[in-house]
Amino acid sequence: MFDPYYLQQLAIGLSLGMTYALMAIGFTLIFGVLNVVNFAHGEIYTLGAFAGLVLISATAPPIVAVILGALAIGALAGFSLERIAFKPFRRFTDEASLKSRAMRESTLLSSLAVSIVVREALEIVFGSQMRSVPFEYLINTPVRVGPVILVTGDFIIFGVAAAMLIGLQYLLTRTRVGLAIRAVSNNPLGAKYVGIDTDRTIITTFVVGSMMGAAAGILMGLYYGAVFPAMGFTPGIKAFVAMVMGGLSSIPGAVICALILGISESMATTFVSSGWSDMVAYGFLILTLIFFPNGLFGARRERV
Amino acid sequence: MTAPLLSIADLHVAMGPQEILHGVRLDVAQGAIVAVLGSNGVGKTTLMRTVSGIYRARQGTITFRGQPIANMPAHRIVQLGLSQAPEGRQIFSNMNVRENLVLGGGDVGLGELDRVLAMFPILSERLRQNAGSLSGGEQQMLCIARALMRRPSLLLLDEPSLGLAPKIVAQIFDLIGRIRAEGVSILLVEQNARAALRIADHAAVLEDGRIVLSGPADQLRDDPRIAEAYLGGHAH
Repeated sequence: MFDPYYLQQLAIGLSLGMTYALMAIGFTLIFGVLNVVNFAHGEIYTLGAFAGLVLISATAPPIVAVILGALAIGALAGFSLERIAFKPFRRFTDEASLKSRAMRESTLLSSLAVSIVVREALEIVFGSQMRSVPFEYLINTPVRVGPVILVTGDFIIFGVAAAMLIGLQYLLTRTRVGLAIRAVSNNPLGAKYVGIDTDRTIITTFVVGSMMGAAAGILMGLYYGAVFPAMGFTPGIKAFVAMVMGGLSSIPGAVICALILGISESMATTFVSSGWSDMVAYGFLILTLIFFPNGLFGARRERV
Repeated sequence: MTAPLLSIADLHVAMGPQEILHGVRLDVAQGAIVAVLGSNGVGKTTLMRTVSGIYRARQGTITFRGQPIANMPAHRIVQLGLSQAPEGRQIFSNMNVRENLVLGGGDVGLGELDRVLAMFPILSERLRQNAGSLSGGEQQMLCIARALMRRPSLLLLDEPSLGLAPKIVAQIFDLIGRIRAEGVSILLVEQNARAALRIADHAAVLEDGRIVLSGPADQLRDDPRIAEAYLGGHAH
């Protein structure tokens, strides 16, 4: 009575959702700390993918080295992004300036500017067409699980997303760095009074969040087999929708919503042509904003 | 005579074009409680924030244990042993009481946790509770406890009695006395002049960004100008 077709669509949806989740985790982490949207997160994802591709074409290293290379570029990009697009607009001195919308709006635009510059620069250097990843690096060997066919990449992405989520929860609740990140997110002025170097904590947050974004990028490159300068845009939008649905600053909430999004999109292709599947995400965004302005998991407003 | 623990001289602080402190001079001797009195908007909190490195000084010096600290980053000042329980408490309301205290300990760690909790028994019952769910008095105690976690040599208290019931205020002032007894010097900013003068050794009155009067607390208590302006018209 249960058509295996739906199971297959569910599996595809879950793996799609996982890819959105990978992106949403880093995005939400940075939002939680600074309360600003980092529009350049999609470009960090793209940079991670290109870093991996360049490494592959230059030296053909083992896949672990490819991922480590992408992480390193992600860390460097996160650091530079913070220095260029966020630090110059930040003045934590008192409550008034913290609540000021000027900083939020200026970094919205400065991060957007950085994202455009990075995307155009990548187009100049690599061209705007898709570049394919060498076959031996692809992570799409089919694996049959009962009636459903998955590929190795699905398991890798699931594993990486789960590891990121658990690792991040551990970092945030059990380590000094993580406590400092949550403290800055909760009350930046209070953080100064207890002797936290808020500047350094914010840089750390960007580095961690961007490493996650870059890891998502290279994994997606290896999963779909294609890398191109505009590849970060759609996942960036999906991650943004997942973050808003999840209540803006709840990382587990964003992950759950990313999964809901992925499954809904994959199920929707049963009924409408796949070109319309993006409408699902935007539809969810509108419905969430109308009926759950605090997000599905945002009632408690627990940040990070 | 030994040099004071904290010495502020000719301190000018401005917010944008407007100067708020116009040459403040104030010393805190080792082991003393010094109270700064004054009504709303005279610059008391500005003074406290500048000492803690939150605001920048335009001119003047702040010396702590012989080291100039004016315009030093806030986290470095805390590391030197100068902690503040700031105005508005600034606790981490989304985090539990224990996490707040752990953060207060910073790189000194949790060595002080038992000693601090012994002074604040109410907090040891609430370690797993979110700080935002505490009552006002408990939040104030958490704020002071957090500042003590680094075993500071100087504690700055900015309006610790603000918005609290009289019974809780009495508890807080009792605590301040006990903190001093542990060897911590205290710089206290208060609108409750009566309570502050009772506990302080030395006091100064801040008006429009200047210290207009200062001296031993018992002398100020009998000063007619203080009595009129801050103690409701009659000296005690």
